Amino acid sequence: MMGADDPNDTTVKEPDNAQAAAAGASDEERRATDRRGDDRAADVVHPERVRAAIRKEITADRDADDDPRNTDAQPVIELRDVSLAFDRPILTGVSFEVYPGETVAIVGESGTGKSTIVKLILRLLVADSGEVRVLGNDIEKLTYEQALEIRQHMGMVFQGSALFDSLTVFENIAYPLREHTKLDEDAIEERVREKLRIVDLDPDQVMELAPSELSGGMQKRVGVARGLAANPKIMLYDEPTSGLDPLTTGTITNLILKLQRDLNVTSVVVTHDIRSAFRMATRIALLHDQRIVFFGSPEDMTASDDPYIQTFLGGY
Amino acid sequence: MALLQRINAAARDKVFSLQEAFVLAWNAFRFIFARPFYGQDVIQQMDAIGVQSLGIVVLTGFFTGMVLALQSAVQMQRFGATAYVGSLVTASMIRELGPVLAGLMVAGRVGSGIAAQIGSMRVTEQIDALNVMGTDPIKKLVTPRLIAALLMLPALTVINDVAGIFGGNVIAKYYLQLPTSLYWATVWDQISTGGFVLHFIPNDFVHGLVKPFVFGGIISLTACHFGLRTTGGTEGVGVATTRTVVTASILILVTDYFITQALLALLPA
Repeated sequence: MMGADDPNDTTVKEPDNAQAAAAGASDEERRATDRRGDDRAADVVHPERVRAAIRKEITADRDADDDPRNTDAQPVIELRDVSLAFDRPILTGVSFEVYPGETVAIVGESGTGKSTIVKLILRLLVADSGEVRVLGNDIEKLTYEQALEIRQHMGMVFQGSALFDSLTVFENIAYPLREHTKLDEDAIEERVREKLRIVDLDPDQVMELAPSELSGGMQKRVGVARGLAANPKIMLYDEPTSGLDPLTTGTITNLILKLQRDLNVTSVVVTHDIRSAFRMATRIALLHDQRIVFFGSPEDMTASDDPYIQTFLGGY
Repeated sequence: MALLQRINAAARDKVFSLQEAFVLAWNAFRFIFARPFYGQDVIQQMDAIGVQSLGIVVLTGFFTGMVLALQSAVQMQRFGATAYVGSLVTASMIRELGPVLAGLMVAGRVGSGIAAQIGSMRVTEQIDALNVMGTDPIKKLVTPRLIAALLMLPALTVINDVAGIFGGNVIAKYYLQLPTSLYWATVWDQISTGGFVLHFIPNDFVHGLVKPFVFGGIISLTACHFGLRTTGGTEGVGVATTRTVVTASILILVTDYFITQALLALLPA
């Protein structure tokens, strides 16, 4: 079926595309019907049915043997026994590593500290104990200025896009280039156009618009383009599909998959959208009760007999 | 016990906030001399803080000068000293009312704007985005506003003073029937008899220019401090804005007293 969620279909489908919207609506109706069916059996989780559905989802998108990870190389990101507390414990003994070229999805219930992990990787927060290594550097031992330099190798897509509302789309994407490169204005414009095309936006149509003039999905894509502008080695996504309609969610998920395949960018995706996580991730970290209770491939996750994982997937 | 804990938490928050404010001020001043320089941002802020505040500063200065002349004339008529109304308006405007009124007006208009803008950037993660893209938000956002306020507040104060003295002239001429030449003679008399620094800078001018320079720092840093500390969405932005105007206004009035004391001791007439 060719639809918004088809991984091979990377064309952009705007919400105002009537045909696509109609297709999306019918998909939604089918899912709603399924959910109503699930609701009727709310007390009964059918692990086999859930696993079968998820396996179908994974295999529909990618070949399970096609692992983009380079496990021979040093991890690009490594958390070792990281703990953090504010007025209550947020993370306790969290460890995982991300190899070059892979996409790790961090999933879990709301308020479990998923976004906190990304902030630790960026050193927007500092852990109480443990070690956070990024590109071989213990990021917490770096000076503030050194941390700013390391961040130039990372692109971040924020939950709310975080585009600078006083700048145009062009100026937003050009911002990291103007700040940290010696590219002339022609080269910057060419780079901005290239990145906008990667995220399936027409440069001539959107470059001079203000962020407030864009739809939520377009803002997210401009956010991705800005994150990609400086050709980062690592992309971090904080809830890239939250608050988006199903069509746009599919488009953003396809985009992240495309970046992984075409540019081999190492990615960490924080999401509560388990469906998107299964589609885009090589490995999944499940956070629960301040700890990572599972870290492995989507296939291993579906095969797990752990009651919490089963309950979590049952929610899906 | 719970009450004591709440008091303890509130006190600790205040102390941390004060510490943050001093660290922010130190870094903002330090970055004036550190690359990269955001010249374009400084010019934009000079426009926002200075040029766009001209209207309200001229209006407040002009009417303050008028009301000052009017009120003092009533008192001075009893002693037959209405001829010296120009002197009184000049001293009051240049030494006190000009800097303080310009400071309070800019705190209300610009301070609230800066706090709202930076607060909105904080709650919409734009400050985090700056950090992530390797830009220090203090260097990019605070230092340009600080430089602009330090330069524009004295300029606005001079304009406020001039508008006030002209306002006094209007009352002197049309209400008190004083010749314009006499009014301006008393204006100059006030400036020249107040004493000079280095034999040519009138003490009044030193009083009148040191204060707005300090007030510029107070307004910009207070606004940036509360803006950067904003939490809690749009409601938090409102709180940051209110706190900025209240805190900056109080700080302006309190520091005005201490600066006056210090300058009177250092620069006797």
